[in-house]
Amino acid sequence: MTSTEHGRSEIRIRGAKKSFSGRVVVDVDDLVLGDAAVEGLLGPNGAGKTTLMRMIMHSIPLDEGTVTLHKADGSTITLSELPAHQMMSHGVVKSTQVISDFDQLTILDSMLLAVAGSRHESPLRWSAEKELAAEYEDEIRHYLDYFGFTDPNAIAGSAGEKKLLDIVRCLLLKPEVLLLDEPTAGLPEDVTQNVMSVIRDLGEQGTSVVIVEHDLDVIWQLCDEVTFMAEGRVLMKSDPETIRGDSTVVEKYLGAGHG
Amino acid sequence: MLDWLDAFLISGFFGVLQIIGLGLLVHLQMGLSRVANFGVAGFWGLGLYVFGVLYIKVDWPFGDPFQFLICAFLATVASGLAGLLVAWLIADLDVDGALVGTLGFATVVLILATTQTELTGGATGLGGMRFPYDLGPAKTNEFVWVLITTVLVGAILLYVRWVHRSPYGRLLIAVGTNEPLARSLGKSTTRAKLTLFATTSALMGLLGAMQGVMFRFLNPATITINITLAALAGLILGGITRVWGAVVGVLFTVGLFDIVIQFYAPLPQEWFTQAIPVAREAVFGAALVLVLLFRPKGLLGEMKRPQLMRRIHDFN
Ligand SMILES: Nc1ncnc2c1ncn2[C@@H]1O[C@H](COP(=O)(O)OP(=O)(O)OP(=O)(O)O)[C@@H](O)[C@H]1O
Ligand SMILES: [Mg+2]
Repeated sequence: MTSTEHGRSEIRIRGAKKSFSGRVVVDVDDLVLGDAAVEGLLGPNGAGKTTLMRMIMHSIPLDEGTVTLHKADGSTITLSELPAHQMMSHGVVKSTQVISDFDQLTILDSMLLAVAGSRHESPLRWSAEKELAAEYEDEIRHYLDYFGFTDPNAIAGSAGEKKLLDIVRCLLLKPEVLLLDEPTAGLPEDVTQNVMSVIRDLGEQGTSVVIVEHDLDVIWQLCDEVTFMAEGRVLMKSDPETIRGDSTVVEKYLGAGHG
Repeated sequence: MLDWLDAFLISGFFGVLQIIGLGLLVHLQMGLSRVANFGVAGFWGLGLYVFGVLYIKVDWPFGDPFQFLICAFLATVASGLAGLLVAWLIADLDVDGALVGTLGFATVVLILATTQTELTGGATGLGGMRFPYDLGPAKTNEFVWVLITTVLVGAILLYVRWVHRSPYGRLLIAVGTNEPLARSLGKSTTRAKLTLFATTSALMGLLGAMQGVMFRFLNPATITINITLAALAGLILGGITRVWGAVVGVLFTVGLFDIVIQFYAPLPQEWFTQAIPVAREAVFGAALVLVLLFRPKGLLGEMKRPQLMRRIHDFN
């Protein structure tokens, strides 16, 4: 296998199918995600976008097909054969659409949890907490400042704060492929701008970012490439202009007068 | 010396210590990681029996304290391995599955202890253990053993306190509150549960070995579900998510009954054989119901991460 042309990691999905109670929800023949710095995944409600991302993370099993990761260095890993917790060590990370948090842990806890490696998490490593905090202090402070968390020692309260914390946890994992499922839904405008600029920077620094988003401004501003899904299938993959102008996309999703 | 000390008081106090130790360990399993364990008596009992059988039946080429140390060590390892095995079986099961698995394990230990008569003495029991030292009168030996056990349980308390302040404890809480999210952050939640059960079960086994020395007799009647229930009731009453939960809860239940009422309440002697043991279970049950109704998080209340994190870090 040769290295990817663009020097980023990409994900290839082949013959991937998923049904729930007999109804096919995802049926993707051949799709590459991550061949652009920031790629959009568009589609109407129920198109199967979230399900596809969860299949990539192997947090739900595939009925058929494979998902492979092609790293920038040319190596290939079959993600669909690995357990969910190993995705992170291969640089594949996802944020969740539905708000998800650890209900006892503080914001700082969450961030320290994300950066801790198994060497810190031994049941007998006495000074691990100090080492961990010292090692990641600057990075954690940077994100606390940048996203304006008021009290790192509080438990995330509002839906927006939990959503943001989810994104920050992903960023702290230094992903090579970052899947974001509606990252800006429910965030205030200024925070949305901050999130967008972080995404843009990540893309420029070599991470392949894939975003699902119903806020089309976010998609048109950030994405270099857009994949359009409906009813579980990939109908188109092209540059944003072509997608905006396509009659099928307009009919199935954007609606007349949109765009 | 020690004339003021009643022999029953010593054993009552020892019992309270044992249940506190077990409650502290169950706290790590159920309070932090939310893995149900109804087989506490099994892990503890396995330690007790492995210790006793090895101590009594094996012809050791050296005497105490080495004989004690090696047997206690092997008991600890045996219970740790059992914990690993049981955790592996129940890691992906829900609460019901974990309940059945752990309870089943404890039942197997009890059945083996009762039926392997050659080895364990069966229902009649088996004597022949000794204190690993001899300081004269039995009461002095027992008193010193209670002190040693106090140090051990104190060390377990310090360990639990440390766990709350370590990345390991944070991982356990993450596993308990949102396992899929923990996995997506790269955490092997199964490995976390295996590690947790191996270490905590090992310590339960060590507590079992301590019990063996104190009473110098193996009796299957001591390793029944009553031990599990006492540890769980105390822990839940005190606060299942709190470091001090087991200490406070067990003092209020087992401590209150087996020490304060038994020794200091001016009750007629004949009550103690008949009424008190029944009343004890009834009052534990009633206390648990009341606490769960009016203070569902236990006497000490919720886990308080914000306060703890503020104390140990200076991010602001
Ligand atoms: N666990 C599940 N069990 C049953 N059906 C499911 C499950 N998860 C998803 N579905 C169904 O699969 C279809 C696709 O859902 P999915 O969440 O992937 O859509 P989506 O494109 O992310 O939609 P949205 O834009 O609303 O988030 C929907 O019809 C949904 O009801
Ligand atoms: Mg979705």
